[in-house]
Amino acid sequence: MLPDRYHQAIEHWRQHNFPDYPKLAEVWPKYFPKDDAFCLCAKVSEDISAEIEIGDDIGKPKALQPKELAPEAAQHLLSQIRAQASTEFGSIQQHQMTLFRAQEPQDQAWALRVMAEELRHGYQMVHLLTSQDWSPVTETKPEDMVEEILSMQTGSHVLAAFNLEFDSFLDNVVFAAFIDRVGKYQLTMQKISAYKPYASSMPPMLREEAFHLAAGVIPLRRWVEHAARGDGYIDMPAIQKSIHKWFGRGLEMFGDERGGQTNVKFGLKDLNNRDAQDQYIQECTKMLDDLNLRYVRARFPDQSRDEADAIFARVAAGETVDGLSRDDLLRLPDRRFFRRRGEFAFQMVGTHGEAFDDVEKYVAHVLAALPEAYRASIDVKHWADMQREVAAGTKTLKDAMASMPRLARQAGGCPCGKSVRWVIGEAGGRAGGEQLNS
Amino acid sequence: MADVRIRPVNELDIEAICRIDERITGKYRPDVWEDRVVYFIRRDPDSSQVAEVDGKVVGFMLGEVRGGEFGMEEPTGWLEFFGVDPSARERGIGRGLTDALLAGFKKRGAHVARTMVRTQDAEIAKFVAAMGFTAAPVSALEKRLA
Repeated sequence: MLPDRYHQAIEHWRQHNFPDYPKLAEVWPKYFPKDDAFCLCAKVSEDISAEIEIGDDIGKPKALQPKELAPEAAQHLLSQIRAQASTEFGSIQQHQMTLFRAQEPQDQAWALRVMAEELRHGYQMVHLLTSQDWSPVTETKPEDMVEEILSMQTGSHVLAAFNLEFDSFLDNVVFAAFIDRVGKYQLTMQKISAYKPYASSMPPMLREEAFHLAAGVIPLRRWVEHAARGDGYIDMPAIQKSIHKWFGRGLEMFGDERGGQTNVKFGLKDLNNRDAQDQYIQECTKMLDDLNLRYVRARFPDQSRDEADAIFARVAAGETVDGLSRDDLLRLPDRRFFRRRGEFAFQMVGTHGEAFDDVEKYVAHVLAALPEAYRASIDVKHWADMQREVAAGTKTLKDAMASMPRLARQAGGCPCGKSVRWVIGEAGGRAGGEQLNS
Repeated sequence: MADVRIRPVNELDIEAICRIDERITGKYRPDVWEDRVVYFIRRDPDSSQVAEVDGKVVGFMLGEVRGGEFGMEEPTGWLEFFGVDPSARERGIGRGLTDALLAGFKKRGAHVARTMVRTQDAEIAKFVAAMGFTAAPVSALEKRLA
């Protein structure tokens, strides 16, 4: 357990940002009957190597305190922990927006559990920040670091994926399938961290994260089956548009494709950004293949497994079979589509990899590919403005990448304070992953 | 076994498990396997295993450590579901899965693994016997309810 003042600070945060938390205890016996009760506490694994596993200092003892790391490595580590904490608390705020729009009680219960476990992960990060002496690394006191993290809201988090609002429960599910998957990669890479307390925190988090991915994939599998039968409420185009909303942000969570070597050099992660991103893309492709197969089986219920496989292969190759075409199935957009950070930021590449040379045509293409509710957001408008300025040469790529809409609170402290209000941050606010993963 | 990779099950293995089940039973039961796989993933994602050959899942074994059931207080590793694609049998895949599952059970504090086999499933009984399972000093009883 954390010292009482930090524990209470998180409990207080939870009351404001996760008001439905008490419902988890109500639904637990029904949906998780044999599982141990949820515990808001820090957990560590004993089964972690005592020696650095990669990088320049491979074979040397892992650091047990921040001061044992090289100063630059310690700075990178602190950025990682801060970013990780931001994602944990940020995702709860996002899920809470649309949690109770779930159509199925089970989906809702699963999302509730995901949120509670993200809270535990945030708790774990606070434990890391407050249980050791970080004064050799930063002048910021532990209580101020915690205060900063707990005061972040949707719009002021470290990474862009956690600054997008959820528009429907579809976002809860697609977010779990795509964004939590990036989280799995980050946790897996950090499992070898040269800072042992951080590495030891990863296995328990990864065990919980496995369920979070299932909480995304299983509802998607059932929705595509209903979509194929025509008896559901969520169709394939709606899912596809939500994928377009989240996939690019997920890619950007890895950091700039050209970076990540420094973390490997310091022994903080075992993959550079591009390699990790490549594996992620491969995994997402497999996920969509499985969803499409489930769709084909439901669309052609009288066909055998082998026949359905053959239909899927023909359709995937571009053929139309019994009215089913490639456009009816889910497809991962090109990795360069709708990007605003990293190697492909503001390149005008369409969902299928097609290049655009007219910015207005590209903006129209992206808008048509995104969910309607999201199109109405300030986030999309800001992206379109930046895309136009980059194309016109009135804004540099660097400035455009740094200039994300950042809803920043003008006053800090507890959100129950009446003085809290929201303002658009100045251009040039901190960019996210590519700085953290250089 | 050189080309076989054993690893913990994840949510993207469900379609492959459905496929193996379908090849064995002739039934396509995605809902059943979704429920089963997610149960094991949420309770103990490291124990249950799949076997891959050339990146394709050809076998699975699902189980977990529980205690206190049927008066048996000791932590017990329960082997509950498994299957190997008929085209991939006789290659040591079942043994590889069993070894990985039992190693995981032991790591989680179990000193005994248990399973149950229907008497008509002679092939399964033969397999679990080959894996070192012997008759347990417990009786499986049932009563049909009208």
